[in-house]
Amino acid sequence: MGKVIGIDLGTTNSCVAVFENGESHVIANTEGARTTPSIVAFTPSGEKLVGQIAKRQAVTNPENTIFAVKRLIGRKHDSDEVKRFSSFAPFKVEKSENGDAWVQVKDRAYSPQEISAMILSKMKDTASDYIGEPVEDVVVTVPAYFDDSQRQATQDAGKIAGLNVLRIINEPTAAALSFGLGDSQNRKLAVFDLGGGTFDISILEIANGVFEVRSTNGDTYLGGEDFDQEICSHILNEFKAEHGLDLRTDKMALQRIKEASERAKHELSSCEETDVNLPFIAADESGPKHLTTTLTREKLEELVRDLVERLVSPCKLALEDAGLRREEIDEVILVGGMTRMPIVERKVVEIFGKAPNKGVNPDEIVASGAAIQGGVLKGEVSSVLLLDVTPLSLGVETQGGVATKIIERNTTIPTSSGQVFSTTEDDQTVVSIHVVQGEREMAADNKTLGRFDLVGIPTAPRGVPQIEVSFEIDADGVVNVSAKDLGSGKSQAIRVTASGGLSEQDIESLVTEAEQHTQADRDRRDLVELRNKADGLVYSTERTLEEFAENVTAEDRKQLEAAIEKTRASVKGDDAVALRAVVDELSALTYKMTEQLYAELGGDDTE
Amino acid sequence: MASELAPTEIVALARLIDELDYYQLLHLRRGASISEVKQAYHFSSRAFHPDANRHLSANLQAAVATIARRITEAYSVLRDPGRNKAYLQHLEAGHGVRMQLSEARAEAGRRAVEQKGRTPQGRQYYNLAEAELRREDFAAAARNLQTALTFEPDNEFFKAQLKEAREKIR
Ligand SMILES: Nc1ncnc2c1ncn2[C@@H]1O[C@H](COP(=O)(O)OP(=O)(O)OP(=O)(O)O)[C@@H](O)[C@H]1O
Ligand SMILES: [Mg+2]
Repeated sequence: MGKVIGIDLGTTNSCVAVFENGESHVIANTEGARTTPSIVAFTPSGEKLVGQIAKRQAVTNPENTIFAVKRLIGRKHDSDEVKRFSSFAPFKVEKSENGDAWVQVKDRAYSPQEISAMILSKMKDTASDYIGEPVEDVVVTVPAYFDDSQRQATQDAGKIAGLNVLRIINEPTAAALSFGLGDSQNRKLAVFDLGGGTFDISILEIANGVFEVRSTNGDTYLGGEDFDQEICSHILNEFKAEHGLDLRTDKMALQRIKEASERAKHELSSCEETDVNLPFIAADESGPKHLTTTLTREKLEELVRDLVERLVSPCKLALEDAGLRREEIDEVILVGGMTRMPIVERKVVEIFGKAPNKGVNPDEIVASGAAIQGGVLKGEVSSVLLLDVTPLSLGVETQGGVATKIIERNTTIPTSSGQVFSTTEDDQTVVSIHVVQGEREMAADNKTLGRFDLVGIPTAPRGVPQIEVSFEIDADGVVNVSAKDLGSGKSQAIRVTASGGLSEQDIESLVTEAEQHTQADRDRRDLVELRNKADGLVYSTERTLEEFAENVTAEDRKQLEAAIEKTRASVKGDDAVALRAVVDELSALTYKMTEQLYAELGGDDTE
Repeated sequence: MASELAPTEIVALARLIDELDYYQLLHLRRGASISEVKQAYHFSSRAFHPDANRHLSANLQAAVATIARRITEAYSVLRDPGRNKAYLQHLEAGHGVRMQLSEARAEAGRRAVEQKGRTPQGRQYYNLAEAELRREDFAAAARNLQTALTFEPDNEFFKAQLKEAREKIR
């Protein structure tokens, strides 16, 4: 049975862990790092880079370096979040045919699902290299506060990457699993997860191996990226005030400032003051301009005060929904790189009235928990049972555009709920249902999950047909709708009239494309290896010819030199087949030569 | 720990699911306490949660999923005292075995309001009565409950409390 992995697909960093021998281990990537930047870049020569190498070239290639795509996944182009994102992103965000937010790179538009799939593939390769065989089974995490379309889109990203997604689980829940595994104590936890893009708070109760999420809340658009932007804006404003130059239009300068802002933020977690030095950031008639400034922790905390305030209300709501007072929480666990910021930690203490637990690795615990859940799903861990909740209320649009809740937020999943629908006119055969997700009163203010028609209703006076529509949320948090005619007991036909994301067909064609790319990537790698081999062979043959100049006949030398010339020419080209042919020819000749040399001279060596 | 039911029993249970009320689903008596509800739910979840049953055939997994969803539906309603009471009434009134969570919640909310009184005077006299009940001065409590009822003649909760107080006087 193949091994199962857990992937924390983060806004800023991704992490992979494997479940083996009853434990989960985080796996380092080929560069030796235990987390991988969630960045994908497309180079001018058409190469695709993922992770650290993509991050390294961001300054020189900002338009084609895609970061934080998790902030776009499963969102509509016209949403406020996407508008905010686009105003800062150095790359283009476009509207897809179905209204989703996609990214444009050169002449091709990519869905966030595809970009995420590239990151997932990289994580998959990291794991496969470590395990020594290709992995397929995976548990992928998402922020607890992700809605249905964001979850489905993440699942689709997994499919595109050729992974078998056993389960989508919530990041804080995964963290709790890793924290509480093998712990027989019964306790109540609060998991506070502030990452690069999202904020989650979950309250759980652990009793006898049952991990029961009591409530969850959060903000899917609040994270380190927003903090960086505050610093960035501050630096830009300062520079403009001093030099009269607006660097906002210069993408390369902007990228440098963005990176420096993040660096400064990190440094100010342990220092009181830090310098920002960006030489040659711009130039005007008077010559080159350098950006040099000092940022203090005090100033930083002033800049991000509003962002930090936004952490409070989700925590209060989560406690309230869990029916707990803060004194009843036994442990507060910090997850996500942003919890290293002193002001964030202070806020946590203020909210929960106690110091957080410092014993966990905030960067790795989510992936580690995902791998454990993989072990549970494979039947390798039987002591643990995870009972999660749905973060958002599910409802339907009723008279006057009101959203009537059918399954309320923080209901344990998997679950279902039935609602009886009837007709409002005599002989009506179709009833339309608009399914929404969210907490707002009006349907229009919530997110549309889908529109359905109950079709083929037998003709009857109005109000007589009784159709029970069952709304189901499965263990991934994904919503399904089915219907039954209570009169006949038969299942009722449903027609889906609108939904977001990618269709089955879209996904299938992307999977094929990704596979072809894998083939293309493999071919490219083979070509590189072949070139290296050719270079090495040319080098060693020339050395041999030099060294044993007297022992090689003029005839052989001519042949060898001709083969070397051909190989040199072929190495410059892209034709792997031709290159292989000349390399084979050269190596055969070299072999013949060394054999002869050995016969002539070898006698001396063997003695 | 997966389901210990035989495959045919799982399928049979899934088919019967629309006939069973929430108490029956969780093997509970109608007056079960909240901690009993929780324990029963955890026990049933260990058997029927999809995570514990991935080794089953697709067919059986679907049956298990149906059961899992319904036991969670039952738990969501029964885990809260107010909703639990509302559901009991819903059952006894013959409104069917399923109750929407939101309906149960709304009903529980209405009861909570009723219990404290809907009118300012009703609330005022009820609060007095409540304090007297705590002091076990049942005669005084009965007087104040009666006064509260003059402002809210159809408050079932007040009526029940009055009946209890009168019984205690005897
Ligand atoms: N020492 C530090 N001080 C301040 N911020 C830090 C520090 N270390 C990391 N961060 C910030 O934490 C964020 C990344 O955190 P993390 O890797 O947990 O996020 P993620 O998992 O990628 O995102 P998400 O969970 O929101 O999808 C970045 O914004 C980074 O700048
Ligand atoms: Mg994270």
